[in-house]
Amino acid sequence: MSVTMIIAHFGHWWTSLLYLLPVVVVVGWLSFQAWRDSRSGGDDGS
Amino acid sequence: MRLRHAVASATVAALALPQAASAHGLVGRQDLPIPRWLFAWAAATVLVASFVGLATLWPKPRLQELQERVVARLPAILDVGCGVIGVAAFGLTIYAGLAGNQTGTANLAPTVIYVLFWVGIPFASALFGDVFRPFNPWRAIARGVSWLAGRMARQDSLPDALPYPARLGRWPAVIGILIFAWVELVYVDKTDPSQLAIMAIAYAAVQLVGMSLYGIETWESRGDAFAVYFNLFARLSPLDWRGRKLAVRRPLEGVVGLTPVAGTVALLSTMIGTTSFDGFSQGSTWSSIAPHLQSFFLDIGFNAEHALELAMTVGLLAMVLIVAGLYRLGVAGMHTVGEGHTTSELAGRFAHTLVPIALAYVIAHYFSLLVYNGQATAYLASDPLGDGSDLFGTGSATIDYSVISATGIWYVQVGALVLGHVCGLILAHDRAIAMYRSARDATRSQYWMLAVMVSFTSLGLWLLSAANQ
Repeated sequence: MSVTMIIAHFGHWWTSLLYLLPVVVVVGWLSFQAWRDSRSGGDDGS
Repeated sequence: MRLRHAVASATVAALALPQAASAHGLVGRQDLPIPRWLFAWAAATVLVASFVGLATLWPKPRLQELQERVVARLPAILDVGCGVIGVAAFGLTIYAGLAGNQTGTANLAPTVIYVLFWVGIPFASALFGDVFRPFNPWRAIARGVSWLAGRMARQDSLPDALPYPARLGRWPAVIGILIFAWVELVYVDKTDPSQLAIMAIAYAAVQLVGMSLYGIETWESRGDAFAVYFNLFARLSPLDWRGRKLAVRRPLEGVVGLTPVAGTVALLSTMIGTTSFDGFSQGSTWSSIAPHLQSFFLDIGFNAEHALELAMTVGLLAMVLIVAGLYRLGVAGMHTVGEGHTTSELAGRFAHTLVPIALAYVIAHYFSLLVYNGQATAYLASDPLGDGSDLFGTGSATIDYSVISATGIWYVQVGALVLGHVCGLILAHDRAIAMYRSARDATRSQYWMLAVMVSFTSLGLWLLSAANQ
């Protein structure tokens, strides 16, 4: 029933995902950057 | 059966909260050149650009040391006069609430409390400093009583104030703000003038007890929820009223000195979370969740009115926890950068970065309320009891909804959110480069704060958009 409700209301909440997208992009980019920094930090230290 | 209950609840809500529905200003048709969600993308771009700019152009701490300049000295009589005005305004509001017309929109009390006090003072504080402090009625009463007691009794016969427990910190203020927000957003009789007046008296009594136990200044700076709340916004102002001196400082500088005592992060999370819930509760997402929550409470035996309040209470608390959780996530991320800073230390030392965000949320959600409903002061001042009197000849004044368009309000809201979060980034960056030994670690730590700021901005714009649909 919950799944049905979610699908039925897709038209209402899909635009909400557009507000989430910048967060996903920024967090993804920052995570990659943090991972790259930690690797280069490790290289510096070796 | 559940559907019937939900419909009954919704009907009760609609009947019980007609003023609440219009309490946050009218939302007219917006004429925007781009879809609203694109503003969130633009805001995120501005924040990323600000982050890069700060990382490259702001290499040393600039805000950590307070640089104030005293520009004026104020006469002692001004302090007394402001206190008298504050007590008189408080007394008039209470009297209007108790003795006046019990229709919320016809009585002075609800507008004074929800518009001028709750929304107007944060705006004034951010611009002109801690303007509430000299007018604080319970502080003025406590000081008056203290002065009288000092004159009548021997100084050594008066008991000393108790030491304020460190673990209490700002927690009394957290409870106070949460209760007020609950009354404003959840309580079905929120606009009942006499109930508001009674609650105001109860609040004043608690403050007087707190001040008598722990000292006026101590309680005011920690336990008096509204004094603490307004003071946080005042710290963003370039004006600082210190005793009888007026000093100027750089904007944002005042908030850097915020002492992160117990409850500070909880207070700021409560401020942002409750404002967020105000927007969220007007959107379609909440409209689809609320009936299920109401049905749950109806099924376990509550009546429709209480089921509605309980559902709203769950939503309110959940939103506060979400905001607190987002901040804690950012802090946990910062913790991974190392240099030996604990998460609780980081949470406290970066708590001040949430203050401009809290102000941005207040502006975004309540600007229209202040602009539109604030005009009601003109006719309510002439007819405070709602009995048809016309003391100042403005009793027939009306609210002019054309002073600003819905599109104009949207731009103010977006501008406030972006500016507030950029200010948060500036404060976080300045604190990070002061705290971390290497500039690289400072920047890495701020990746997480950037993520927090972008999340709060997107959340804020989504809430506004949902409320405007």
